[in-house]
Amino acid sequence: MNKKIKKEKEKYMGQKLLIVDDEAHIRMLIEQTLEDLEDEGVELLFAENGEEALNLIKEEKPNLVFLDVMMPKMNGMEVCQIVKKELKLSHVYIILLTAKGQEVDRQKGLDMGADRYMTKPFDPDEMLSVAEEILKV
Amino acid sequence: MTGQTDSKYYLKALKNILKKGHVSQQVLSDIAAKLGLNFGVIGYDENLLFGTVNEGFQSFDLSLDEIMYGRLLASDDNGRLLASMLMVLVEKELAKKKIGNEVLGLYREINMIYSFSEQISEKIDEKSIAEMALGEASQIINSTHGLFLIYEPKQNEVVELASFGLNPDREKNIHKLNILLKELISRGTSAIVPSDRILNNPALSHLKTIMYAPLKVKHRTLGMVMLGHSEEKEFTAAELKLLTTISLQSASALETAHLYQKGLQEAKEREEAIRSIHEVSQKFVPHEFIKFLGKDKLTEVSLGDLVEKEVTVLFADIREFTTISENLNPEDNFLFINSFNKRMGPIVRKNGGFIMQYLGDGFMALFPNGSQTALRASVEMHSELRIFNEERAVKDRFPVKLGIGMQNGNLIMGITGDVERLDAAIISDTVNTASRIEGLSKHYGSSILLTDNCKNNLTHPEEFDFRYLGPVQVKGKQKPIDLYECINGDSRQLLKHKLATLKTFEEGMKQYFMKEFAMAAVTFQQIVKKERNDSAAKLFLNRSAHMITQETGDDWKGIASISSK
Repeated sequence: MNKKIKKEKEKYMGQKLLIVDDEAHIRMLIEQTLEDLEDEGVELLFAENGEEALNLIKEEKPNLVFLDVMMPKMNGMEVCQIVKKELKLSHVYIILLTAKGQEVDRQKGLDMGADRYMTKPFDPDEMLSVAEEILKV
Repeated sequence: MTGQTDSKYYLKALKNILKKGHVSQQVLSDIAAKLGLNFGVIGYDENLLFGTVNEGFQSFDLSLDEIMYGRLLASDDNGRLLASMLMVLVEKELAKKKIGNEVLGLYREINMIYSFSEQISEKIDEKSIAEMALGEASQIINSTHGLFLIYEPKQNEVVELASFGLNPDREKNIHKLNILLKELISRGTSAIVPSDRILNNPALSHLKTIMYAPLKVKHRTLGMVMLGHSEEKEFTAAELKLLTTISLQSASALETAHLYQKGLQEAKEREEAIRSIHEVSQKFVPHEFIKFLGKDKLTEVSLGDLVEKEVTVLFADIREFTTISENLNPEDNFLFINSFNKRMGPIVRKNGGFIMQYLGDGFMALFPNGSQTALRASVEMHSELRIFNEERAVKDRFPVKLGIGMQNGNLIMGITGDVERLDAAIISDTVNTASRIEGLSKHYGSSILLTDNCKNNLTHPEEFDFRYLGPVQVKGKQKPIDLYECINGDSRQLLKHKLATLKTFEEGMKQYFMKEFAMAAVTFQQIVKKERNDSAAKLFLNRSAHMITQETGDDWKGIASISSK
């Protein structure tokens, strides 16, 4: 019987994805959106504010971070700047999430070292395919 | 859901709660330790999810609604407790997932509506709005048929803007449907149509279920959007709500498109009105005049604008107009003048000139390209006049005679008047002289008279034939002006005569200016004998005859002084 029991070979085994948003329902939505990735072995991590996010990034070194811009206790821009410019964690792929109508932040975000940028409300299908594309690399 | 997908789904929930860092991992381990239990969890696919398993462990099924999704293997019977607990946790996780899925579904809708309203608001034509609305609706609502209809109140007709999945006879069907559709549109509500009602309508019989939503703007209904399905499938209230939302967005996009088109149309009409005013104003003030002022439009000129330019000024005048007009009533007079002007204007323009002013019995034209063009126009005008006269002769009307005088020189063109009344004006001595020369044409009986200035300006004088008529003292001018007659505007008969006697005439003029008046009289007499209508020859015959008896001083230069205009 033991022989039959085997560890699954998962596509994205050992990869980590961090979801950062101060709004619980957005975190839940992203979790639900990226649910399929969990089956493929991606570990989903969550943070409710910038500080928490920064600590998790330092500890876990996630492969991909969905980072909300507007947050209490250190906003997304600051987190991004510290991760990319100070900690120089270039392999942590950061996607900034900004509300529609705040597109002016786009260039600022990219200047802070963000790898990509998405607007809320996000298209769930797009978010999933973007995440898959990045984790594949 | 089949048993297979169910167990997969349950397994996923199981995996979720056994995830690293999940609180249930810790709780399970703590309880097992207290019970002195070794255990492991495996999925129905026999993959180890948590803990360890050994040979001889007891197996406890993990199942929900009799669907097994995994097993808990434990070193003793207490494993049953852990299995029960795990099953409760899985159920909770499933409930959470369910809510999560519903929320995500709602979020998808919001996102769809958000991007839909953003995109549709950019559309400005009805058809693409309709197509986009149906495309979006068919993507999120499972349907096989779709119709986007608007009601045209003017024609009292329902018009299809877009559709999908309709059978080929749709036009016939829509016609049959017209009354029903009008009624539905007039209601302005959205509804799911029960299948029994559809079945009664032959035009819709291929559909099993239908729902529709109005295209409503404020209190007006512009039309409706309809979705149908050919299979047994009831639309849900949620789907109807989505369709209603799409309809509302489409309706306001339609309204915006209408307003946009209306604005466009109005702008076009305004532009057209301005253009026609511009066109008319050009007829009153020649465009060339405005161009000379360095402007493009009449609206750009202002009081005091002026420019100096060398041009040929041409005066054309209907001879004996007073006599003619005395015999006509005012209206006929006007008609006569217009029938004349209508023929002359195009000749002026054709030769690069423009008519600066109509003067009742004639006009003043300016030729910016010099006297060559003005003289060509003059000759053409005379030949056109002969055709005009032939036509008049057929109708038993009197022939019209035309006198043309030209002068070349500088001209100041400008805008004069006051702030309330502006006019295009030209100020120049050249104009006065040209007018006087034209007046002289009557005296000399010439069809075209020009000054030496004008003659010297010709680029191809060989195109024409001239007779020198001597110097003339023009009223208001200090210096006398040398006068030439261009004979090419004369009738064929007169031209032939003048050409034949060109040398003789020249001889006569020479004799006249050399004070050989008797000789000159004889010479001119020879010419007049051949053609009694040679007015200039007759004039010089008379002058010569008159001078024979006159005393002439050394300063006599034969300068004619003509007082009558």
